[in-house]
Amino acid sequence: MIPALAIRNYTLDYVTAAGPGRVLHDISLEIMPGEVLGLVGESGSGKSSLAWALMRHLPDNAREVAGLLQLGDVDLQRLSPRELTKIRGRRLGMVFQDPSTSLNPTLTIGRQVTETLIQHHGLKPRDADALAIDLLGDVDLDNPAEIMRRYPHEISGGEKQRVVIATAFGCRPDVILFDEPTTALDVITGARILELFARLRRETGVAALYISHDLALVTRVADRVAVLERGCLVEQAPAADIFRAPRHANTRALVDAVSRPERRLVHDKPHDQVLLAASDIEVQYGSGGLFRDAPPPATKKIGLEVRGGEILGLVGESGSGKSSVARALTGLARFSGKISFDEHEIHGMGDMNAAYRRDVQIIFQHPDSSLNPRHRIDEILSRPLKLYGGHLADIPGLLNQVRLPASYANRWPHQLSGGEKQRIAIARAFAARPKLVICDEITAPLDVSVQAQIVELLLALREETGTAFLFITHDLNLIRQIAHRIAVMRRGEVVDLLPVEDFDADHVHSYTRELMAASPVPVG
Amino acid sequence: MTLAWFARRLMLTLYTVIVVSMLVFAITQILPADAAQSLLGENATPDALAALRAKLGLGDPAWLQYSRWARHVFTGDFGISMRTSLPVGPEMLAALSRSLLLTVSAILVTLAVAVPLGVVAALRQGRLTDTGVSLIAYLGVSLPEFVTATLLALLLADTLHWLPATGYVSPLEDFGGGIRHLALPVLTVSVILVAHVMRMMRSETLDVLKSDYIRAARLKGLPERTVLFRHALRNALLPVITIIALDVGYLLGGVIVIEEIFAIPGIGRALMIAITTRDLPSIQAGALIMAATYAVTNTFADMAYAFLDRRIRYD
Amino acid sequence: MTELFIRLMRKPQGFVGVVLLALIAAACLFGPALAPYAPEKIDFLGRFRAPGWQNWLGADQFGRDILSRLMVGARSTVPLAFIATFVGSAAGAIIGVGSAYLGGRTDEAIMRTNDAVLAIPGLLMALLLVSTLGNGAGNAVIAIAVAFAPGMARVTRSAALNVRNQDYVKAAIARGEGAPWIIFREMLPNVMAPIVIESTIRVSFAIMLFATLSFLGVGAQPPASEWGLMVADARQYMHQAPWGLIAPSAAIALTAVAFNLLGDGLRDALNPKDER
Repeated sequence: MIPALAIRNYTLDYVTAAGPGRVLHDISLEIMPGEVLGLVGESGSGKSSLAWALMRHLPDNAREVAGLLQLGDVDLQRLSPRELTKIRGRRLGMVFQDPSTSLNPTLTIGRQVTETLIQHHGLKPRDADALAIDLLGDVDLDNPAEIMRRYPHEISGGEKQRVVIATAFGCRPDVILFDEPTTALDVITGARILELFARLRRETGVAALYISHDLALVTRVADRVAVLERGCLVEQAPAADIFRAPRHANTRALVDAVSRPERRLVHDKPHDQVLLAASDIEVQYGSGGLFRDAPPPATKKIGLEVRGGEILGLVGESGSGKSSVARALTGLARFSGKISFDEHEIHGMGDMNAAYRRDVQIIFQHPDSSLNPRHRIDEILSRPLKLYGGHLADIPGLLNQVRLPASYANRWPHQLSGGEKQRIAIARAFAARPKLVICDEITAPLDVSVQAQIVELLLALREETGTAFLFITHDLNLIRQIAHRIAVMRRGEVVDLLPVEDFDADHVHSYTRELMAASPVPVG
Repeated sequence: MTLAWFARRLMLTLYTVIVVSMLVFAITQILPADAAQSLLGENATPDALAALRAKLGLGDPAWLQYSRWARHVFTGDFGISMRTSLPVGPEMLAALSRSLLLTVSAILVTLAVAVPLGVVAALRQGRLTDTGVSLIAYLGVSLPEFVTATLLALLLADTLHWLPATGYVSPLEDFGGGIRHLALPVLTVSVILVAHVMRMMRSETLDVLKSDYIRAARLKGLPERTVLFRHALRNALLPVITIIALDVGYLLGGVIVIEEIFAIPGIGRALMIAITTRDLPSIQAGALIMAATYAVTNTFADMAYAFLDRRIRYD
Repeated sequence: MTELFIRLMRKPQGFVGVVLLALIAAACLFGPALAPYAPEKIDFLGRFRAPGWQNWLGADQFGRDILSRLMVGARSTVPLAFIATFVGSAAGAIIGVGSAYLGGRTDEAIMRTNDAVLAIPGLLMALLLVSTLGNGAGNAVIAIAVAFAPGMARVTRSAALNVRNQDYVKAAIARGEGAPWIIFREMLPNVMAPIVIESTIRVSFAIMLFATLSFLGVGAQPPASEWGLMVADARQYMHQAPWGLIAPSAAIALTAVAFNLLGDGLRDALNPKDER
């Protein structure tokens, strides 16, 4: 039986001003009909480039140095543009990462689904419409006929991704390439998409190349897993084995970096006395304009408390209000309610004095935008020192604390990597010697291995300073490793606030249970 | 588009027109230390000055003068011209219609030329066609209207004698003659507009072609022609409405110069005559009408855009 | 500053822009000294002389050397346009940044009014002001500055809003930094770049606007050798001496192009991401 997709000794370069850079080195992979191969790698591993190479959609500065790309019996590299349009979508499909940008905002959903059917199967418009409705129903969309008439911005992210999947599956291709299809979606929505994928795969027997940075996720979805590291294939094994017995050092590092709730990283107990108590916090964004009503509040009178030295996790999906809580607590958003901190009562931004602002620090999600691009690192770190009493001579010490060389003080933010910038943000927060640090999804944009390093750094700093953390994240497995207690938020409300040991008990809220089901513990 | 959205847009337009009227009035009547003096010139007798002051009510507080004027204007009475002693309103509006003929023709020509050129330049990015188009666009934007007008007149009227250099004939009376007389002014305006719109189209089209949904359409196996015409152009053409609307404002200003050079009796020329002869009511009326036209055009453009781009439907 | 200059020169637009501007600056500074003839020197024998060794760009209806008039006229055109843009940009920037910082309903009210003022086309605004203030180059400068301010306010506000929403500004607020620090040290350096670029391009509009006002007779007055005036004069004699028309037109165009190119070059050079 010939493989559905075969890549043999494929080598790819990108030519830049600095000369050719190798992106993929001597890659050999095979996917048999009906098989799902997971391709895992961190950013810069070249995994997406492989997908573009297969689709023949490489950038202009790409040079294919060697190798063979075969779809069944067709040599993909030898196709003429005309033959290529016949293959794309028809025999080789693709599902992209971000459904909100891969659908044309000015065409109806129906049009975008039927055009492939008409193009590849020569159906008449009426028949294509009927078939499209069937396909949308197959992907569990309610009221497919209605959705056909809508525009992309009128349906949700999860629904959009189902439409994209329906379109890809609709032409019954031999192979479908999935490029991180759940990364841009919420945890629960993403989990549902994975279930959908599993079902469709069973029903249609399509072969698939599933690309992701998430090793744990891929092992749930794929039959075999291949690991890419900086353009080289370091390991290929059945999914079950990869976790249990990784052979290559890189794979082992990836496996170790995966969050496993049963592996606690924090073993002490917090103090008893309450450091910060927030009650009836309601966050309001935006007043009305001259002609507009104000939007509804982002949170509905929620309450939280953090004890000295505690790690309180705050978990929720987008729109749950968790970031709004962070902003209220640091005086970045208007709120009503009460915050008690250190015997000081705060009812609004104006009540936050210098002592509060020193003791409560925040680290933001995106390292690119949390450091002023026109300030050097030493200037960035000097600010908290100047504001809260410290000496400029402390700067090398701060850099050392976050495991960065002292020479970085003279650099500009754009010269640092994402992980390094996040460390600077951490250094900046700890320069104030705070009692509470709020981490607003700080690990989300980072690679898994970098994530693990950052978490380890934070825990080490906590050991040294005894700081409490309010750790906001959507990654339930991660927070279960480090938090003492976890609050679960949904649509502006706290639905559960439990000690971490109680998380798999029976009395948890149904939403919490859904979240747990959507982030299963990896096998191995 | 909801009713509330409509109502908001209309209120905004009204607000704009009111602010403009205040500004025009303030600049022309309140700002000058002695409006009567500047209207009659240095040789005016004290009696004449006093008479004019009384007639215009220049002694009254500013807001009273304004409200008097505004009340008349918003009921359609623009006053009597100090130069011709005829009502200002009808003459200005007739002039406006002639200017609109000029500007609308220029816009149509621009759309027909600039949009395809911009798209083609984007499709052939980096190649000779693109460089050539971009260079011409650069030049077009760097020449003031009077230069373009004069150079074109030099070439087409003076040297080649293809078109008349000045003058206006109403197309309603003599279609051929009317076209021939309008050709140079329309051409001049179009040169600058085309340069501007072409650059925008090119940049818009380039952005659209780089977008994820175009990539997705290609990778679905749609032929390039379908990708371009069904997917790309719809998105690239949308901003053209906004660009044209913004350019109308520029056009209305430029029309002053163009009509001066080519002796077209439009609102620009009427304004220039009013300014040089210090005909206050005509200046006020002309300026207000011009700005109001711009404001209204923008509102229509907003509505057209919103209609076509469903994303803005819910504000 | 020097590294900015180097990066500016590396791109073709920046390079050409800088070179052209250097020429123009030289004309402004040394024009009268370098000009072959005095600009007002009348020579009836040389009326309408075609370009040649005696008058490199030809002579006008009074026999005045066009090249000399151009070189001296640079002084009447360019620096004034510069000043007008600078004043207009400064005024616009204050309104824009202030409005963005205040936010909320105040911001909306300011901007709606600003947009209403923008409904008056620039040339019309300038004409109205000049007709009130009186003809002359100085008043033309004021008029242009006022005409530019609302447009710059818009651009500045949107740049300022963009910066205001960045996390580093939020971090500064959360730290408890004072408003002056936030505005001047966090926001302004990041807002300056778009403002400078937009202003540079606006200088080319100011030059064209100034020349237009002079052309219409309300800007610079004769016998100044302002370029717009030169075109106005030369129009009547288009048949006999087209060079009288072409030379100043080319000068205006070249200057406008130079500032446009400089603006484009600055856009690339001021992007910190390109620093290596």
